[in-house]
Amino acid sequence: MMGSKDADPSLGYLTRKDTEVKLPRPTRVKNKTPAPIQITAEQILREARERQEAEIRPPKQKITDSTELADYRLRKRKEFEDLIRRVRWNTGVWIKYAKWEESQKDFNRARSVWERALEVDYRNHTLWLKYAEVEMKNKFINHARNVWDRAVTLLPRVDQLWYKYIHMEEMLGNVAGARQIFERWMHWMPDQQGWLSYIKFELRYNEVERARQIYERFVQCHPKVSTWIKYAKFEMKMGEVDRARNVYERAVEKLADDEEAEQLFVAFAEFEERCKETERARCIYKFALDHIPKGRAEDLYRKFVAFEKQYGDREGIEDAIVGKRRFQYEDEVRKNPMNYDIWFDYIRLEESVGNKERAREVYERAIANVPPAEEKRYWQRYIYLWINYALYEELDAGDMERTRDVYQ
Amino acid sequence: MFDYFCLILLDVSILKSQLYTISEAVQASGSSGQSNTLASDVAEDLHDENPKLEAGSDSDNDKPAEEDVEGDFTKLTGRQKKLFELRLKMNEARKANQTAMVAEKKRMEPPQESRGISKQKWLEERKRKIGKLLDANGLDMTKAFMLDTQEAAEAKYKKWEKDPAPVGWDVFNQKALYDAYKKRTKNVEVDLEEYNKMKEADPEFYRDASSLQYGKSPKISEDKIDRMVKELKDREEKRNSFSRRRRFHEEKDIDSINDRNEHFNKKIERAFGKYTLEIKNNLERGTALPD
Repeated sequence: MMGSKDADPSLGYLTRKDTEVKLPRPTRVKNKTPAPIQITAEQILREARERQEAEIRPPKQKITDSTELADYRLRKRKEFEDLIRRVRWNTGVWIKYAKWEESQKDFNRARSVWERALEVDYRNHTLWLKYAEVEMKNKFINHARNVWDRAVTLLPRVDQLWYKYIHMEEMLGNVAGARQIFERWMHWMPDQQGWLSYIKFELRYNEVERARQIYERFVQCHPKVSTWIKYAKFEMKMGEVDRARNVYERAVEKLADDEEAEQLFVAFAEFEERCKETERARCIYKFALDHIPKGRAEDLYRKFVAFEKQYGDREGIEDAIVGKRRFQYEDEVRKNPMNYDIWFDYIRLEESVGNKERAREVYERAIANVPPAEEKRYWQRYIYLWINYALYEELDAGDMERTRDVYQ
Repeated sequence: MFDYFCLILLDVSILKSQLYTISEAVQASGSSGQSNTLASDVAEDLHDENPKLEAGSDSDNDKPAEEDVEGDFTKLTGRQKKLFELRLKMNEARKANQTAMVAEKKRMEPPQESRGISKQKWLEERKRKIGKLLDANGLDMTKAFMLDTQEAAEAKYKKWEKDPAPVGWDVFNQKALYDAYKKRTKNVEVDLEEYNKMKEADPEFYRDASSLQYGKSPKISEDKIDRMVKELKDREEKRNSFSRRRRFHEEKDIDSINDRNEHFNKKIERAFGKYTLEIKNNLERGTALPD
């Protein structure tokens, strides 16, 4: 056995025993009760944070001459380039680098940094925005124009770029240029807000005729009810009542079967009301009510009833209200044909109107719903129906023939 | 606690009646010798009839005893002093009883969750409370709105009419961007004369998109450029005040070792907070609840 005290040549003057790693032997825990003074993890963390030393910052140095400045710049540039090499895809780092170069007033370098950033990710609209802003703030107008042009060509669906480009041209007073950009944008058929901003732009310079033309294109591009209504309201604001009416009529022609046609009709009718053309308004309402399936005509009905209350005579009002109730009842009887209460109410309504034909019709339909079960309850009500019918015929219609018929 | 109280009462009532009877005895007989025996008799009696005497003696003895005490405020004789001290003790006992009651009640209730109540639990609590109220009024769960006051109902209507505010990146949605642009257009100063002059000067004023005037632009005066730059600087300032600084909660637990760690924990809490709340509460308590 090798003596442990013998010098091992590879270990120098240390013996083997010394170099053996001695791990502490795991002892058995004897006392499992909780210690009298407990501490929470949170307390430990709190103490740790309190005892932390302040961050070590490099001392603030004042740069006195150009060599020092050059050194500083070199150092910073090296830092930034290292960062970029590490995290190429992090736009934030690129932007910091570019902004630092801008603060050093070295615009060529700044531009090159921006271009490199764009090379990494040209689809990032924030990069373009910040780049253009830098050019604009430092009064490099043509450079800015170039940047904007490229941005808008590469990312035509980002509205923000278009807005800001146009805003720049407008602020500089280059209205014709702004117009050209708007035209380019409209070729891409942007959404409603784009078109509306173009129209507002024209109206700012009182170019009403051009605004009108743009509206025409707008409603072609977005054939929706809301756009037509906007167009018509614009014409109203300009005071061109005939044109507005024309617009509405065209809209109705095109969009009578649209799902939002109800709004259109309501707007149209309101317009006519405002022009004090009550007859036309009534026609529109009636047309609309006929056209639109009952489910969606809720709003329309309400407006119609309100309108009639304002302008119509008593019959008109009653007609409107009755029509509405009629629809309600139709709905309900369709759902429960066995519910005789509803039938009764419906019959009473028709009687009050005094329209004999309809009353008879309803009675017939009611009677057709023979109660299913042999239960006395159902039959009772059914018989009441018959009796009512007979009475009605006798008293109101005065038609004895029919009464006899019914009694059969 | 209660035993202590009973003992005190016993003492007081004993002493009070002792006082009364003693004073009576003194008045009646005038011999101190008898009073001792009387006192001991009274003491025996009292041990049997404690509660009755309490009520009786208090109401009887309060008035004369009080007068005595108030009269000789500065020179309290031995017995009256004792009475005063006893009164003090009684008050203290009452206060101690009250606090003990409150503490017991608190112990009986389940303790407040240390990290806040999860939304689910809060909703359940609310539903239960409202259910109880509804039952008391004989209403159904579907008619819960009947419990609202008029002001509460109006506030609810107002809230329903409002659109919910956008959260997170949605703040930059299309509508918001358009509105921002619209606001900026107010900064444009429309100079119609200059506009008309330009119109005269330029034959192709109403350019088409494919016009060949594409690259050209009129000479732009310095002040316009300055105006543009100024507007940009304003925008940048406004941008700085876009997100506000949140309050620093000192009373919140620290679960980070660092500032970076704290920031990270905030982000994590935002994302996973509502799901891990139950688990965290269980850990704080030490045991999981059976629900």
